[in-house]
Amino acid sequence: MAGETTPPSHRRHPIKHTVGNAAVQRRRQHAVSVAKERREAMFRTKRLCMEGISISSDAATDNEMMVDEEPMVLESQTSKAVEELKLAVSFKGKDAVEKKVHALRELRRLLSRSGFPFVEIALKSGAVPLLAQCLSFGSEDEQVLEAAWCLTNIAAGTPEQTKALLPTLPLLIAHLGEKSSLSVSEQCAWALGNVAGESDELRELLISQGALIPIAKMMLPDNGSTVRTAAWALSNLIKGPDPDAATELIKIDGVVDAILRHLKKPDIELATEVSWVVVYLSTLSDVATSVLMKADIVQILVDRLAASNNLQSIIPLLRSLGNLMSSDAYTTNVVLDPGHEITESIIRSLSKCLKSEHRFLKKEAAWVLSNIAAGSVAHKQLICKSEAVSLLLQLLAGAPFDIKREVAYVLGNLCVAPADGLGRPSLLLDHLVSFVRNGCLCGFIDLVRQGDLEAARIGLHFIELVLRGMPNGEGRKLVEKAGGIDAIERLQFHENDDLRMMAGLLVDSYFGETYGLDE
Amino acid sequence: MEVTQVLLNAQSVDGSVRKHAEESLKRFQDENLAGFLLSLSGELSSDEKPVDSRRLAGLILKNALDAKEQHRKFELVQRWLSLDVGVKTQIKHCLLQTLSSHVHEARSTASQVIAKVAGIELPQKQWPELISSLLANIHQVPVHVKQATLETLGYMCEEVSPDVVEQEHVNKILTAVVQGMNSSEGSTDVRLAATRAMYNTLSFAQANFSNDMERDYIMKVVCEATLSSELKIRQAAFECLVSISSSYYEKIAPYMQDIFNITAKAVKEDEEPVALQAIEFWSSICDEEIDILEDYAGDFAGDSEIPCFYFIKKALPALVPMLLETLLKQEEDQDQDEGVWNLAMAGGTCLGLVARTVGDDIVPLVMPFIEENISKPDWRQREAATYAFGSILEGPSPDKLTPLVNVALNFMLTALTTDPNNHVKDTTAWTLGRIFEFLHGSSMETPIITQANCQQIITVLLQSMKDAPNVAEKACGALYFLTQGFEDIDQTSPLTPYFQEIVQSLLLVTHREDAGESRLRTAAYETLNEVVRCSTDETVPMVLQLVPVIMMELHKTLEEHNLSSDERRKQNELQGLLCGCLQVIIQKLGSLEQTKYAFMQYADQIMNLFLRVFAFRSATVHEEAMLAIGSLAYSTGQDFAKYMPEFYKYLEMGLQNFEEYQVCAVTVGVVGDICRALEEKVLPWCDGIMTQLLKDLSSNQLHRSVKPPIFSCFGDIALAIGENFEKYLMYAMPMLQSAAELSAHTSSADDEMIEYTNLLRNGILEAYSGIFQGFKNSPKTQLLIPHAPHIVQFLDLIYMEKDMDDMVMKTAIGVLGDLADTLGSNAGSLIQQSLSSKDFLNECLSSDDHVIKESAEWAKLAIGRAISI
Repeated sequence: MAGETTPPSHRRHPIKHTVGNAAVQRRRQHAVSVAKERREAMFRTKRLCMEGISISSDAATDNEMMVDEEPMVLESQTSKAVEELKLAVSFKGKDAVEKKVHALRELRRLLSRSGFPFVEIALKSGAVPLLAQCLSFGSEDEQVLEAAWCLTNIAAGTPEQTKALLPTLPLLIAHLGEKSSLSVSEQCAWALGNVAGESDELRELLISQGALIPIAKMMLPDNGSTVRTAAWALSNLIKGPDPDAATELIKIDGVVDAILRHLKKPDIELATEVSWVVVYLSTLSDVATSVLMKADIVQILVDRLAASNNLQSIIPLLRSLGNLMSSDAYTTNVVLDPGHEITESIIRSLSKCLKSEHRFLKKEAAWVLSNIAAGSVAHKQLICKSEAVSLLLQLLAGAPFDIKREVAYVLGNLCVAPADGLGRPSLLLDHLVSFVRNGCLCGFIDLVRQGDLEAARIGLHFIELVLRGMPNGEGRKLVEKAGGIDAIERLQFHENDDLRMMAGLLVDSYFGETYGLDE
Repeated sequence: MEVTQVLLNAQSVDGSVRKHAEESLKRFQDENLAGFLLSLSGELSSDEKPVDSRRLAGLILKNALDAKEQHRKFELVQRWLSLDVGVKTQIKHCLLQTLSSHVHEARSTASQVIAKVAGIELPQKQWPELISSLLANIHQVPVHVKQATLETLGYMCEEVSPDVVEQEHVNKILTAVVQGMNSSEGSTDVRLAATRAMYNTLSFAQANFSNDMERDYIMKVVCEATLSSELKIRQAAFECLVSISSSYYEKIAPYMQDIFNITAKAVKEDEEPVALQAIEFWSSICDEEIDILEDYAGDFAGDSEIPCFYFIKKALPALVPMLLETLLKQEEDQDQDEGVWNLAMAGGTCLGLVARTVGDDIVPLVMPFIEENISKPDWRQREAATYAFGSILEGPSPDKLTPLVNVALNFMLTALTTDPNNHVKDTTAWTLGRIFEFLHGSSMETPIITQANCQQIITVLLQSMKDAPNVAEKACGALYFLTQGFEDIDQTSPLTPYFQEIVQSLLLVTHREDAGESRLRTAAYETLNEVVRCSTDETVPMVLQLVPVIMMELHKTLEEHNLSSDERRKQNELQGLLCGCLQVIIQKLGSLEQTKYAFMQYADQIMNLFLRVFAFRSATVHEEAMLAIGSLAYSTGQDFAKYMPEFYKYLEMGLQNFEEYQVCAVTVGVVGDICRALEEKVLPWCDGIMTQLLKDLSSNQLHRSVKPPIFSCFGDIALAIGENFEKYLMYAMPMLQSAAELSAHTSSADDEMIEYTNLLRNGILEAYSGIFQGFKNSPKTQLLIPHAPHIVQFLDLIYMEKDMDDMVMKTAIGVLGDLADTLGSNAGSLIQQSLSSKDFLNECLSSDDHVIKESAEWAKLAIGRAISI
């Protein structure tokens, strides 16, 4: 060594080099990275398989390995989980409860998964009788909770799968009682709600087994999650067609108060579930409707509507308001007095809905508005002064048929004063003229052309108003110009007697043999 | 003991004398280390002793302080530090004294030993007087003392890191060095020593380079030194400039004009060693600007700490002609093998870097040169023109280059067949390769390879594969990139009609007598591998036919015995190539439904060959054979179990191979492959494997890069054998924990360390994931509960450090999910209490990387359950 030691000379990699070295390097790295990818795929597969979480459908199809292995693994896992539960249930020694809870938890996790028939396999493996055993009286809360959770997941399946719960229903109802912990009764209510949602028969069965009162009582306290679940289960339970359950519900002490109280809460999800209960109560039961009305629920609903922006929460509010108005004139006449702020507020909210993106909201809002429009002249004037009218006219011109029809009801109602008991309602001419000037006639004539009876009837009524009401006999020309004659004539041979007669009458009265000779 | 004679004997030509002397030295060292080192230093410092004994004494001293292998070095450092202080003081005194010796070799040796001692002691805050006593020497009159001292300062700066030297000392050292470099210095020896010392001192000069006055002065002195009449001084001065260009890029703008003039003159007129350094300066500037511009273009625009000064772009009009000029200075009989470095080679390399730095702008500056020279009678001009074209193919946009390439392609193909000059053909084939590498492939808008020219291209390349080895090698390279460009073609590959012919030609090349030259055989096999890898449904049946052919080749190598050591080396190399080829074939055929079954008929025979390759090389295991076995394990799945009894001993050997750590790393990877293939059937072998892996981890001989894969391998094993991993927990968990803690304490000073830390953490986390997933659904889950707190802490820590890369992030969030999933409610409160789990999860949930996001969503659900239960 020693002697001359110079610093290391800079020698960089020449640009012109042989292919070999880099290729070898690249090939080895590739081999190593393939192994790394396989390890990661394995982690992922295990997570997906064991956990029951459908992360994303494309992730599941991307990976061939998973597609190949998953179903088999999962199937054996599910039946194995039921098998474990069987062992645990028959186990009598120390830690018996712990073993059961563990086995239940495993089963529940599998059943929570979607995209694979876990429920089917669990049922075939005999899960329900075991779960029923786990619900037996005196069982630990945790055990009941897990069993009810399993049943909830099963009940969410196909109708057949839901029916498999039959033997467990009395036990689930029994655990709704005050002696159970909140989480247990909530889970049981959830399971029962799934069952009730399935069919009329199952609803009746549950009511006959006494599910209504305990679930209703769960609505009374102020625990948000429990109330929400109970309200949801109640909606499923009372949704008919038999109205008795709804009437019975409204009579239970404290229920009305609870409904009003929860509706005022800021918790949107909670209020939404509760307003669905109001929807079914007001749809099915007149008794319930009048009780609620007297409790001043309309004000609460209108306030809530004004404050809501979310589709899911607006729908039941609109539905409830519409129900309350259509079933009892008291609502429109007294509560929604044209002089009260509440009336303007609801019209504003409904206009907002008419502007919404959602076709469903537009339709429901038009329906509610048609109820108000059916009120006094003052109501009608109020609507005509609002922005609703121009929205309605736009919708009549361009909206899909079902919305158009609801809108036509509103506009039609706005043009006539309430009947004074002497036959034909009198015209509100300024409204009519203004609508016609804005081109609404075509929309109505269009309705006549649709095959729908109800729509044709509204259309004809409006044409009649135009022919009768437009100043200077202008009506006939307008109708003719808009192609109305042809539309009416088609109805002269309609199978429906009323329509045929109405159409015939209109043609005879306004477009008789002398029509056209006047000039 | 009279050490002088022994030291002289140790250099005797007589083997037995030498051996005897070496043994006595060893005995002396073993019996009395302090006495041994003392007498060596005495020998070195004594002017009465012969030069030869003094030099060897110094060498042995130096080797007693430092070694290449990390662990050995560590031992030596510890040994020196534990030596008696009095002894060390005496040795150091002798060393410093030697610097004044009149014997040059003694001084030079001493200065290196001093630097080694400084490297050990300065970080320990020992030998505080060293620098001052060295600086005191500078002011001594005798020139040779000054020279030795400057040399010592240079070596010292190379050995110690800048943070252990106080700024005050740095200033004094720099002053001494700059004074020594000054043109007023009368002694050439002193000036050369000072210039070389400057090279090492530059990394200490951070503060001085921030001071305009000091920087100006240093730059002035360095630039002046490049004009010295002494070649070695000029070369050393240019080396300083190169170093400055990368260390102080952002500070050199004011000097660039001067530097350009200096370098241009050197490239044009100076001798090659100097001219090469002048070119290197510009290559180095390109490196800097390419890095900065890459940062600019990255996700975080403008994230680069250093702004780009666009020196290359500004110098372009002058720089490019200067570089083009160098291309014409080829050597007459230039050796075509890799590693040739001369003016033309350096100039072309720099031109390539310039093209990458400025892109399109270079094209109009180079094209006239190409057009002017490409058809000249002088081969130098044709070669230079071709070389220039090949050099600028990476960097400019395809839009700019494709029209030129379309014109050039035909010309190149003709030149490759007809040019009389070997050198021109070599460069032409290389340029074709560059064309295919950078301008051909599925991402290109306008394809340069068409039905019309494909046949001609292949015909020419296959023909050139019969040319001289260097040309044939470049032709293989071109074919390699041509094939690669068709890698992800969906429909029929344009290569399909020629597939058989290509394979045949490549096999012929591997059999050429002269395939050992110019690495031709390697190129042919690697090209064959690429052809196999990129084969399509239509051509893959022909790959199947290749299996018995390659197997036969491998078999033949195993039949040759009694070879000379050179023949044996070649045989090893060939076996490596053949195993590599089989690895690619296995990976290809084993992964396709179409061929898997037919291929599996060969599995037993192939495995048998691999086992024979291992048996053939008694001591070490063949890395390539190992890799191939990993692929085979994956293809055979559970059936691989039948090979385990015979294969296991080689697996163990691989895991024990500390010296060739790449072999060890590959073997660790193969253990993972086998775990995934065999699943619980790997259990009988796990005791042995785990024992080896644990030994590997506790060894400080094993290269650190193998440790992260070993941790990942723990995960693979746990995943395969599930709760049976129980018995290894008591060993594996503490190892993981201490590695995790270690990774927390590494100062993240340099990029390399950050990268290693990330790799290490990823390995640790993969181990945890594998263990959690392995134990899931087992009644033994509770065994993991005691380990959960530190794992959560570890996750907290890596999250809060904020320097994890995406890979670690993905693995880490997965571990959080696995922990929640496997331990359920036992982990719920732990996660809720943890400092950052929630933030970490949220950050991952909003990640742009969908894999991270997916893992995070999964983890969220798992945690949600763990908390709710």
